[in-house]
Amino acid sequence: MSNHNLKPIDKSDLEKIAARVREGFGRYKAMIMVCTGTGCVAAKGFDIRDKMTSEIEKHGLQNEYLVVSTGCNGFCAAGPLAVLQPSGVFYQKLKAKDVEEIVEKHLQGGQVVTRLLYTDPVTEKTHEKMEDIPFFTKQQLVALRNKGLIDPENIEHYIARGGYTALRKVLSDNDPEKAIDEVLASGLRGRGGGGFPTGLKWRSGRKAAKERGEPIYVVCNADEGDPGAFMDRSIVETDPHSVLEGMLIGAFAVGSHEGFVYIRKEYPLALVRLERALEQARTMGLLGKNILGMGFDFDIEVHRGAGAFVCGESSALMASMAGKPGEPRAKYVHNVEYGYRDKPTILNNVETWANVPVIFEKGSKWFASIGTGDVSKGPWNGNSGTKVFSLVGRVNHTGLVEVPMGMTLREIIFDIGGGIPDGRSFKAVQTGGPSGGCLPESCLDLKVDFDSLTEAGSMMGSGGMIVMDDRSCIVDVARYFINFLTDESCGKCTPCREGLFALNRTLTKICDGQGTPDDLAFLEELSQTVAAASLCQLGASAPNPVLSALRYFKAEFEAHINDKRCPAGVCKPLIQYGITDACTGCVVCAKRCPTQAITGEKKAKHAISSEKCIKCGVCLEVCKFDAVEVK
Amino acid sequence: MAQMIDITINGKPVQVIQGSFLLGAVRSAGFDVPTLCHHKDLTPNGTCRLCLSEIELKGRKRLVTACNYPVREPLCVSTTAEPVVKHRKMLAQMYLGRWPNVPAIQNIAEQCGVTDGSRFKSELTEENPKACILCGHCTRACEEFTLERVLDFAGRGIKRHLTMAFGEPDSHCIGCTSCAYVCPTGAISVVDALNNPKDPVKIRNAGMRVNAEMATLDQSQCRMRDVGTANIVDVMNRYDLLPVHNYRFGSHEEAFKIDSKVLKSRFAQGAADGCWLGCSMACAKTVDHFELQTGPYKGHKVCVDGPEYETAAASSNMGCFDADFLFEFNFYCDTYGVDTISVGTCMAFVMEAFEAGVITEKHTGGLKLPFGACDEVLEILHQMARGEGFGVDVGKGIRWLKNKWAKEYGADADYLRDIGMELKGLEYSEYVSKESLAQQGGYALATKGPQHDEAWLIFMDMVNKQLPTFEDKAEALYYFPLWRTWFGLNGLCKLIWNDVVPADNSKKHKPQDAAKIPDHVRGYFEFFEGMTGTALDETRMLEQSARVYNFQRCISRMLGFGTRKDDIPPYRSMGPVTVEEYESRAERYDAQLKDQVGVDPTGKNTAEKVRLLRAFREGQYQKLVDVVYKRRGWTSNGVPKIERLKELGIDLPEIVEMVKNDQE
Ligand SMILES: Cc1cc2nc3c(=O)[nH]c(=O)nc-3n(C[C@H](O)[C@H](O)[C@H](O)COP(=O)(O)O)c2cc1C
Ligand code: SF4
Ligand code: FES
Repeated sequence: MSNHNLKPIDKSDLEKIAARVREGFGRYKAMIMVCTGTGCVAAKGFDIRDKMTSEIEKHGLQNEYLVVSTGCNGFCAAGPLAVLQPSGVFYQKLKAKDVEEIVEKHLQGGQVVTRLLYTDPVTEKTHEKMEDIPFFTKQQLVALRNKGLIDPENIEHYIARGGYTALRKVLSDNDPEKAIDEVLASGLRGRGGGGFPTGLKWRSGRKAAKERGEPIYVVCNADEGDPGAFMDRSIVETDPHSVLEGMLIGAFAVGSHEGFVYIRKEYPLALVRLERALEQARTMGLLGKNILGMGFDFDIEVHRGAGAFVCGESSALMASMAGKPGEPRAKYVHNVEYGYRDKPTILNNVETWANVPVIFEKGSKWFASIGTGDVSKGPWNGNSGTKVFSLVGRVNHTGLVEVPMGMTLREIIFDIGGGIPDGRSFKAVQTGGPSGGCLPESCLDLKVDFDSLTEAGSMMGSGGMIVMDDRSCIVDVARYFINFLTDESCGKCTPCREGLFALNRTLTKICDGQGTPDDLAFLEELSQTVAAASLCQLGASAPNPVLSALRYFKAEFEAHINDKRCPAGVCKPLIQYGITDACTGCVVCAKRCPTQAITGEKKAKHAISSEKCIKCGVCLEVCKFDAVEVK
Repeated sequence: MAQMIDITINGKPVQVIQGSFLLGAVRSAGFDVPTLCHHKDLTPNGTCRLCLSEIELKGRKRLVTACNYPVREPLCVSTTAEPVVKHRKMLAQMYLGRWPNVPAIQNIAEQCGVTDGSRFKSELTEENPKACILCGHCTRACEEFTLERVLDFAGRGIKRHLTMAFGEPDSHCIGCTSCAYVCPTGAISVVDALNNPKDPVKIRNAGMRVNAEMATLDQSQCRMRDVGTANIVDVMNRYDLLPVHNYRFGSHEEAFKIDSKVLKSRFAQGAADGCWLGCSMACAKTVDHFELQTGPYKGHKVCVDGPEYETAAASSNMGCFDADFLFEFNFYCDTYGVDTISVGTCMAFVMEAFEAGVITEKHTGGLKLPFGACDEVLEILHQMARGEGFGVDVGKGIRWLKNKWAKEYGADADYLRDIGMELKGLEYSEYVSKESLAQQGGYALATKGPQHDEAWLIFMDMVNKQLPTFEDKAEALYYFPLWRTWFGLNGLCKLIWNDVVPADNSKKHKPQDAAKIPDHVRGYFEFFEGMTGTALDETRMLEQSARVYNFQRCISRMLGFGTRKDDIPPYRSMGPVTVEEYESRAERYDAQLKDQVGVDPTGKNTAEKVRLLRAFREGQYQKLVDVVYKRRGWTSNGVPKIERLKELGIDLPEIVEMVKNDQE
């Protein structure tokens, strides 16, 4: 929508706008929510949307159906997708030509296009409505409450869903301490990884600013440097105003008038939506001076990060914001006291901020009742609310999921994620991003919350969840993450810089079949030093992949070292390809082999020359008869 | 007062200053931990992690780096706990594996009981004994000593390496050698190619001590790096020494409008702006993008070079408590090439005369000139530059104005002499010296007139209280003018002598010596010796200066100044001239009458009390002059004795000629 229609509003206008927008929606038979999250956009989501609009117009249906581009629906595996609201009919894996069919058959003819519905690969059942799809049934949407229901680029959609009323409530209560109490009582803990009780952080910041008579800043951490994670990006793309409203409430509670969003440059769509949201909020007087006519001033500026993982760390982030190299500093002096520009600074994660308005809308009791833990026993005892995870890897339903704290890994991976594809078996799940840990099958019934994950040797991190099947080699996985972290270490402190490099070397050596028995003790010992002696949490958590792998999968290391064998068949120097009797002699592999290592007559069993084979794995991939084996 | 915290280190109870770093406590308790990235004069960055220590706080144990862990609450520290020792050994192995031949690393390994780093040997192992070990001393020295950022690290993780911007030699490098000085391995070396000093190392050592003090002490002392001399505004106002309304008063309720806090907020920050490249104090400050409101450059955005303390105080002396006025005044004085002090003091005199009715709008060309008339001050300044109107008179200075007004307007000459703050034709600089006999002498006995370059004693007398007795003051008037002359002789800045002082200066020395800041004087002597090869001590330094100083006095005599009558200041510099002045500080003056003069003030009217105090103070001053002249080897009329000239080896016929008629 263009901003020209927007004008400054005051506190009594929110309901009017909501009513007008809802009434507008009500005039349509249905709204067609086309996902334009990054995942769907990459698969031509914009084309689908445009086609939908033009087809509807072509059929003269523009007064009956409204096309809305939404942020990420979450079920990225099924994208590009569109959902009809309010009926909830869920169309998936759309191509432009499918759109014609939907418009003709469904919108005009009133018949659901079954072909484009979702069929569960496990149960093989077809589901018409989104809410019946197992991927969605077990989710509980709090941070992502507006997911797929609004146009993120239209502030009035957010208002129509009750947006900015929490802010109004907090402003009219006009009691910052009470607002902080409310957040404390909700049991909300930081979603950026540390799980620090948000209310506690706010309280110390407010106190520091007051005592020193200094300004205080609030900052939103949207750096999200973990590979494979896209929770924060999706929230910003789906519902940017929930973050802004959270920041506004936080700012009022701590007494801040200046806020910042630190967002990585590699998130172009999120950036656009964020900027647009800021612009619209500013135009409507929801940012700036005298917000909602209620006497509170606050504005937000965007800082773009250049995408170093370590820049997500709080002190490095603030250094980067100040134009200095993004390197962490010792945390003996806290950012809440001396942060950006050496002033008290409240840094919270995107998802943390997005949760804040709900706490005021529905009450801290309601929020605390979701999840596990008991915040009444102290701020650190809460594990309230939900957590958004990006569920990826070897799992049927990849995508963004939001579940109550305390749901088990099994429920997330098997019920929501639909289990492991291709009939393979579950091996491990890496939670918490690159410096999380790999948890084995025996941990599947672990309740997912801040404390139990840490106990198990992994962590919540910001919510990455990578599922591995039996074809993943745990040593190789550990090496992969350590390699990432070696590259992303800022290099400032010795244990992280030199230690990760040595860990990486040792793991590579083991994967190459050069490991020696004393390597295991070395990995263990060195990991302990890196974890204990590093300056910041990057180094302190970096050995997790190694330590957890050693804890749960020691035998696999031993196979690499003692038997020079990679049980998962991944580590190239340790494997050989061969062809079994299942071979039908179709010659596909022989044709595709880049080094002509495969020979054999048509319709006769083929053979691989181990001298010529470079272990690229193409044969394994292309064989339709599972006749290629890894030895 | 710093709060002390009780902690135990390896079981030994010790007290530490709250907020101080743990490493200091560990070391002063007689224990040690290995350190590599720590340097006593640099902000700890906690990167080598070798100083790892275990602390127990509220029943929970954790590891911290001692070098940058601030002690805030009682805790138990162990520097030898099992995990600490284990991790340290591992760290030492990392270092030894990567840089096996660097002596500093070998030393660390030995301290940690490590002999073998082979587990960390790799393609990155560097055999060079002078390899860079990434400790970061140099980058911090560059920034903290010299306020430059020429050196920094580039490359993430294991690729971290030292570099200048874009890996090219950076022209901003001023060659201060700080980085090489602090480098523990010799990875950075110095090529001496300038000026052929006799002993460059000696010079560097002396210079680096200054740098280190600036980096470590300035922040808690005068904050010269942040605000320059503007810090003095606050101090002087607090001690009733800031000239207000032509030196009538020493403080003003509006002084906060031009104090260091306000000025700091307007000064461009974070850039080194020294008089010389490489000055680590860099006290020169500028106000950038200042839009002028008057004069020929009205509407231009300019860079104002200053203001310094004296200019701010000149403003207060004129009653102009307005930062924007101050900047504009500063800018135009600089642009027109007139001295902010002379203009300020002269205008303050004009304003007092105007308020007293000595002159009126008739004489000023229609300008109203009460204290605080900011716009009018600027107008007069512009007139002065254009050679028009009343500005022309003001530009001629107080001495000329006093004459003219007495002669032509029939003003009371005695009154004008009392309040016209000039001597030997020069306007006073901006300190109220009424309560400091030492500073009265410092101003009035100065050869070229009442500036404080020769003897800035106000601080040591009134703030630091280092000159308690009459003799101390007289001796200070012998020593300091000579010491300060020595700076001029050698072309050296004196601010690093006393605008930052060693932390233990007043503990180590008795007050009169502390005032000299002996450690710094020695630093200058070392510099002199490093430059020339000639050793220097106090006697020889005083001799060098005394030759010049006495020669100057002889010339002054030749020019018709340089005798006792020229050394007698206007009374305003010695005490309250007017009833109003007296009454504004009645309690103080009454007490002095009682304690020092020995008369009971009760029942006396103010005019009488003014007279009594004046007689006493003028008497004190004359006594001081007697003692100082004698100490300097001068006649009772203030002229160098020929025997003194002989002693100094400057009894050349031409010089003797200048003073021979004044001998007793
Ligand atoms: C290496 C490293 C990377 C991090 N990256 C992020 C990030 O991308 N986003 C984030 O919100 N927090 C990140 N954090 C956590 C932040 O330091 C900080 O704890 C968090 O933003 C605080 O917000 P919260 O309390 O709402 O979680 C990172 C921490 C470390 C040590
Ligand atoms: S732990 Fe790693 S990322 Fe953190 S400061 Fe040290 S080197 Fe940098
Ligand atoms: S001395 Fe290097 S971390 Fe403390």
